[in-house]
Amino acid sequence: MDDVLKKALDFSNYRKTFAIQHKILKEKADSRLTYGFNGGIFKIDRTLITFVQMLEDKGRISGVVLLDVNDTPIMIADLLSFKEDIFDRYFNTTYEYYEEYEKMKKNRNVESLIK
Amino acid sequence: MSNGVVIFAHNNGDIDYASLSLIAAKLAKTHLNVPVSVITDKETFSSVDQKEFQNVFDKIIFTPPSTTNNTRNLYDGVESKKVKFLNDLRPSVWDLTPYDRTLLIDCDYLIMSNTLSNYWDNENELLISGKYNDITGDERVGYHDRYVSDTGVKLYWATTVMFTKNERTKLFFDLVEHIRNNYNDYGDLFRFSTKQYRNDISFSIAKHILDGYISADVDLPPVLSTIDKDMLHSVDNGKLTFLLTPQSNQNYVFASVTDLDVHVMNKKSILRNAKELV
Repeated sequence: MDDVLKKALDFSNYRKTFAIQHKILKEKADSRLTYGFNGGIFKIDRTLITFVQMLEDKGRISGVVLLDVNDTPIMIADLLSFKEDIFDRYFNTTYEYYEEYEKMKKNRNVESLIK
Repeated sequence: MSNGVVIFAHNNGDIDYASLSLIAAKLAKTHLNVPVSVITDKETFSSVDQKEFQNVFDKIIFTPPSTTNNTRNLYDGVESKKVKFLNDLRPSVWDLTPYDRTLLIDCDYLIMSNTLSNYWDNENELLISGKYNDITGDERVGYHDRYVSDTGVKLYWATTVMFTKNERTKLFFDLVEHIRNNYNDYGDLFRFSTKQYRNDISFSIAKHILDGYISADVDLPPVLSTIDKDMLHSVDNGKLTFLLTPQSNQNYVFASVTDLDVHVMNKKSILRNAKELV
């Protein structure tokens, strides 16, 4: 029984450590997806990316006003350059998040999780 | 327009705030690429390697020593000690900062990313972090980490404050000073405990008043924090490894952090890792 209990406690400790490391990874991704532009703050997410792509598809590529995270209207003079920046940052960040998360999933004990 | 970071450093006999400010300054310079100034007193300055101070800091600004009797219990893991809490000079930052746009940080706030660079050009002239973000999740976050009291207003975290020097922000810091000077009265009004003076509370109430008594959710990012019962265990090539006590006072778990700004309330554990941090 002692052995069973020890294994359960070890696993509980592992799960807690895993949850904290996952939260830290998510915080890092969130922090990198915060994008300051022309006095506004944007959160680069699927909604922003899709909306910007739609604007480009409709030919609205200059003098576009976007609402930032605080609903402040921000002038985007060159939408294509803005799009390039947010696409780059989104794909780099999510890819890095994916890589680190996959690495973390393979680690089955506390020691390797924090290495 | 000049941008820069300002840090207060006043040794209290127990904690070497001067050394903490050096660590915080070196990290801020590296990751934000802006000058950093320190506000300190002659006695604290006499305790440091003055050449290093002059090399690291853009400007060394002197104030008279703090005269507050404020104290707090500060933990270093499981051990705790009642120490002086010399935090009353913060409102003077408006007068003393050499910069047009200032990021004021606590000296236990370790800047390991360029996230705050996004806010230099932000059109809001005063930004404070509006949320405490505990590294372990929400389990350790209490109501009084989010509100100044049971019935009070939203609690801002004065760990990170960014402001543009103008007449309106002058009004804000004057109001913070007024609240500090009449802390018991404001405690009665906003129903918070006045046992210990907290800048977080003065800043929150001043912001609440100047926002027109309504909530204005334009903030700096949440402050990712470890409490003083946690310990910064080691630092290796930019990776900070912590021992965390998720349920406070219970078993420790490990966590490692890279490329994220983090508020490390266990100041002694920062000092133990000073060399590796910078």
